[in-house]
Amino acid sequence: MDSIKLEIFRSLFTSVAEEMGVSLRRTAFSPNIKERRDYSCAVFDREGRLIAQGDHMPVHLGSMPMSVRAAIESGPFAPGDVVVLNDPYAGGTHLPDVTMVSPVYSEGATQPLFYVANRAHHADIGGATPGSMGAATEIYQEGVRIPPVRLVRRGELVQDLWDLLLANVRGREEREGDFAAQLGAIRVGQLRLLEIVERYGRAETSLYAAHLFTYAERIMRRTLASIPDGDYEAIDYLDDDGESLQPVRIAARITIAGDRARIDFTGSSPQVAGPLNAVEAITVSAVFYVFRCLVDADVPAGAGLLSPLEVIAPPGTIVNALPPAAVAGGNVETSQRIVDVLLLALSRALPDRIPAASQGSMNNLTIGGWDTRLGQEFAYYETLAGGMGAGPASHGLSAVHSHMTNSLNTPVEALEYSYPLLVHRYQIRRHSGGLGRYRGGDGLIREIELLSPARLSLLSDRRQLAPYGLSGGEPGKCGLNRLRRPGRSFQTLPGKFSIEAEAGTRLCIETPGGGGFGPVVANIEERSNGDERS
Amino acid sequence: MIRIGVDTGGTFTDFVVLEGGHRRAFKIPSTPEEPERAILAGIAAAISGGVETGLKEVVHGTTVATNALLERKGARTALVTTEGFEDVLEIGRQARPEPYSLTGRGRDSRGVRDPLIPGPLRFGVQERVLADGRVHRSLSEDGLERLLERLRRARVESVAISLLFSFVNPEHEERVATRLGELGIPVSVSNRILPEYREYERVSTLAINAYLAPRMSRYLGRLADGLTDYGRGGRVGLRVMQSSGGSISAEVAAREPVRTILSGPAGGVVAATRIAKLAGISRLITFDMGGTSTDVAVCLGEAPTTSEAQVAGLPVAVPVLDIHTVGAGGGSIARVDEGQALRVGPESAGADPGPAAYGRGSLPTVTDANLILGRLAGGGLLNGGMVLDESRAREALQGLADRLSEVAGRRIGVVEAALGVVRIANANMERALRLVSVERGHDPRLFTLVGFGGSGGLHAVALAESLRIPQVLIPADPGAFSALGVLLADVVKDFSRTVMLPLEASGVGREVELAAAKGFADLERQAIEALRQEGFDSARMRLERFQAMRYRGQSYELLVPAAGNPVETFHRLHRERYGHANPARSSEIVSLRLRAIGITEKPPLRPARPRRAGSGLQPAGTSRVWLGRRSTVLPVYDRSSLHPGDEISRPAIIVEYGSTTLLPTGWGMVVDRYGNLIISRSAS
Repeated sequence: MDSIKLEIFRSLFTSVAEEMGVSLRRTAFSPNIKERRDYSCAVFDREGRLIAQGDHMPVHLGSMPMSVRAAIESGPFAPGDVVVLNDPYAGGTHLPDVTMVSPVYSEGATQPLFYVANRAHHADIGGATPGSMGAATEIYQEGVRIPPVRLVRRGELVQDLWDLLLANVRGREEREGDFAAQLGAIRVGQLRLLEIVERYGRAETSLYAAHLFTYAERIMRRTLASIPDGDYEAIDYLDDDGESLQPVRIAARITIAGDRARIDFTGSSPQVAGPLNAVEAITVSAVFYVFRCLVDADVPAGAGLLSPLEVIAPPGTIVNALPPAAVAGGNVETSQRIVDVLLLALSRALPDRIPAASQGSMNNLTIGGWDTRLGQEFAYYETLAGGMGAGPASHGLSAVHSHMTNSLNTPVEALEYSYPLLVHRYQIRRHSGGLGRYRGGDGLIREIELLSPARLSLLSDRRQLAPYGLSGGEPGKCGLNRLRRPGRSFQTLPGKFSIEAEAGTRLCIETPGGGGFGPVVANIEERSNGDERS
Repeated sequence: MIRIGVDTGGTFTDFVVLEGGHRRAFKIPSTPEEPERAILAGIAAAISGGVETGLKEVVHGTTVATNALLERKGARTALVTTEGFEDVLEIGRQARPEPYSLTGRGRDSRGVRDPLIPGPLRFGVQERVLADGRVHRSLSEDGLERLLERLRRARVESVAISLLFSFVNPEHEERVATRLGELGIPVSVSNRILPEYREYERVSTLAINAYLAPRMSRYLGRLADGLTDYGRGGRVGLRVMQSSGGSISAEVAAREPVRTILSGPAGGVVAATRIAKLAGISRLITFDMGGTSTDVAVCLGEAPTTSEAQVAGLPVAVPVLDIHTVGAGGGSIARVDEGQALRVGPESAGADPGPAAYGRGSLPTVTDANLILGRLAGGGLLNGGMVLDESRAREALQGLADRLSEVAGRRIGVVEAALGVVRIANANMERALRLVSVERGHDPRLFTLVGFGGSGGLHAVALAESLRIPQVLIPADPGAFSALGVLLADVVKDFSRTVMLPLEASGVGREVELAAAKGFADLERQAIEALRQEGFDSARMRLERFQAMRYRGQSYELLVPAAGNPVETFHRLHRERYGHANPARSSEIVSLRLRAIGITEKPPLRPARPRRAGSGLQPAGTSRVWLGRRSTVLPVYDRSSLHPGDEISRPAIIVEYGSTTLLPTGWGMVVDRYGNLIISRSAS
């Protein structure tokens, strides 16, 4: 292997993924894609192994390969085909995440040389609740379920399928534009890969795609070898599943043996009635994320990172749900708790590296209905940041997304232009981070008023069970959801709800703080510094 | 009368002096703590040459704003926002800088987001304007009074005001600004500097502006004072290069320093476009390779601007030249990482300790690799003003070669390691070049690469080779090219207004046409007034109209010239850029943009002197150079001995004050009538 070419190909493949992302963002229509960047683009080798991914949404990282595998298994590809899917039980994660996969053929080839894929979170994908992220007890209530099917066949759009999909979602025009943007990004990825093949030849290009795989694997093995051998266990809970008040248990045992690791979730709760179930792809993503954070190098997001990791997620549990369980929140909430559990377990092995718990929720807010100003349907989706856990040597960051997501916000000035909503406050929730030698980051406060009647849904957690501190640090503050109907006073609502609300209703969400690290020590100098953040 | 262009860099301050049609360039060491000292010393040296005429004007490319921001050495600044949104500056877009870091920060704490203005200095004021410009909550005089009192107590040196939707209805913001004028400190107002949506990007831009204003104002004041003596009774003009590729008066730069945030690299891009135009080249990629970083930009005629730049991790949403910077330069350090890949940069040896060959450092850098490969021909810089230590460079690279040998399981020598370092550095720069070209749909095969900066000439042709760029241009004085650029720049001022005018699929309706015309007329009034203030009469003004357009519902706009049928142009541009368009979908005009240009007096770019009859082109010496794994002896030419029409059709090295050019195998060179080296693939 040539170290120099390895670096060159690494840059080339990464730039393909990045360029697909730029195209998608610039041509998309829904604020969730164009402003919040809730999407991922990736390149896969001929065997469907991930070799490069645009890198800002960890929750997509481990789960995209399963989409590509499902697409490959759905039947032989022909040049110019694009498969679309969102079925969590066939390569997807939750229904709003629609993934498109396409093979890349070099000239005259009969087998694909690469695959390109992108995934975008659509602000609505049908189902009982506008925004498709509300209460549900079966996947059938959560939206239109798309198994791996051909949306484009040999370069021709399959109009029947296109029409069927668009007839089942709210905000048809916006959805249509977003699907077109995803298809455009696929074409961009194909063209760029073919240019690379043309320049370096088929043989060398695929050889170095394979080398990149082993490069990532080598780095992960070194990282694992640096962790003391042993069994490390932890348990943490989701507040509830939105249907009952029972906490939902997630248990993990991490076994480190030399340069390998086994992550076993045996002992986790059975799958639940509410929409908090994670499919296996989500669990694998969370494992992938945690171990990638341990790698002390700027490593490409390749499948090789995963190969020394063995994940055991018993079927029928909260971490590997079976149909027809509802799954909308598995991707966004349960994934965060899986990370909390894994980090807590690892803190026993690496007490000098692992931080306290971060906010542990994405605070998924969906608001949908009829925009009386513009006379059209609308569906708004947003996730809210919170506090990050303090580390062994640093305070937690405030008001940022943590762990499995890193999407942006929708600017207030974009939001109010697009939707019948008025934002009253968008502030840091001071003193919500856990105290300690190092303080947890603070959550934030966002208060929104409806200007049209709408259905409001919130999927949030850490409203009952606080983000843990470590080494004697205090937990972060729980989140708090409050609602005020016109002429009434604010009332506290549970972590997960879906309600009809009239114009003038105000929703105020306070997101959790991060846990503190180490016992509180009087440090007058630091306190008097005035600036809460460091 | 004398005009001087000055570009302050980290290591050297470059000067280009114009006097009676003559042009000369020189460098002196920078004085980073007080950049004006080197500038005034250089000017004194330039003037003292027994010249009787006075200094008329200095145009300046400065890194004062950039460095003050990078080093956080700005003023104690306050921010005024709509109540409830005081923290937007700190929350940002909610994303953490490094997604795969357990602390959210990068290693060595890169990207720690301390806000530029801390919480206790951010003040909310009770008021609210809606998306359509209606006032939802009015601004009271009592509220203003209280705000003024709080600001007085805060003892700040500067203040920024950025209220929600002030770009739609600026009335509240202007009332606040008027009242805060009583404080007697610089007041930066969002609807004047950046009247566009996205509150975080706007407030970030304004905070940066206010944070830099006092320092910039003092710096430019000291510089202007130092210049007065040279005017021989007349006033010495001082203009500053702004990031968008035009220059502005020192007064405007002092008030709106955020516009100078990329002042440094902008000069080079401007010079490249002008020189290329003279040479008959309209599609070019600029390649400015210095010691720690390389700046690249694609120009189709003019250099394009962007409003999505980030500097020091903070968004700067005023227009800046769309320059992409990558951490690869002569001083970039090479190492083998834990996954066994050879990496070069972004860490740089900088000017201190500098590359191993400079005599103080011991880590191998790109410059060390070039020296070992014989490409610096003789090992001196600045016409012998700086001597390089080859044995030290060799020692540094030997360490790297040993590590590479371990990985490969075979022996890798110093030369092979050096070749690897140059290739990786090239790969990093190639990625930057691809990002601005191929990834934006530009085919490099249609472009000329214009190489400059201290190391540009050494790497330009190799990069052209891998990107299949057919032609390379190395201008005269490539080492002081940015200082020339600031003299070539016109005064440019950008005006914009968010309008959100809906369009039908068929075209622009009468009503929209009128609204746009009225908007442009307002902007033009402002623009003409502003150019008058900069000292331009109407004969030396040019106004260019653009509309930022998108499909209704998109968030990113394409800039469409406001002529012909903009709807058709928009569909065409969208298809060109992204590969698809939907003519049935309706579009909208998001904002009107007016670029106001004050045409400045330009240095004459005259043809170079032809060769005297009878004298032939002779190399000044030879150097043993590794172009691949085998070395060859190449002729070394002194650039000053080259004249228009001279040709070199075999590999060679061309040395000059401040730069070296490598002409590798398979490429030939001809000197054009302006003295540029035009390098292209040999016919064979």
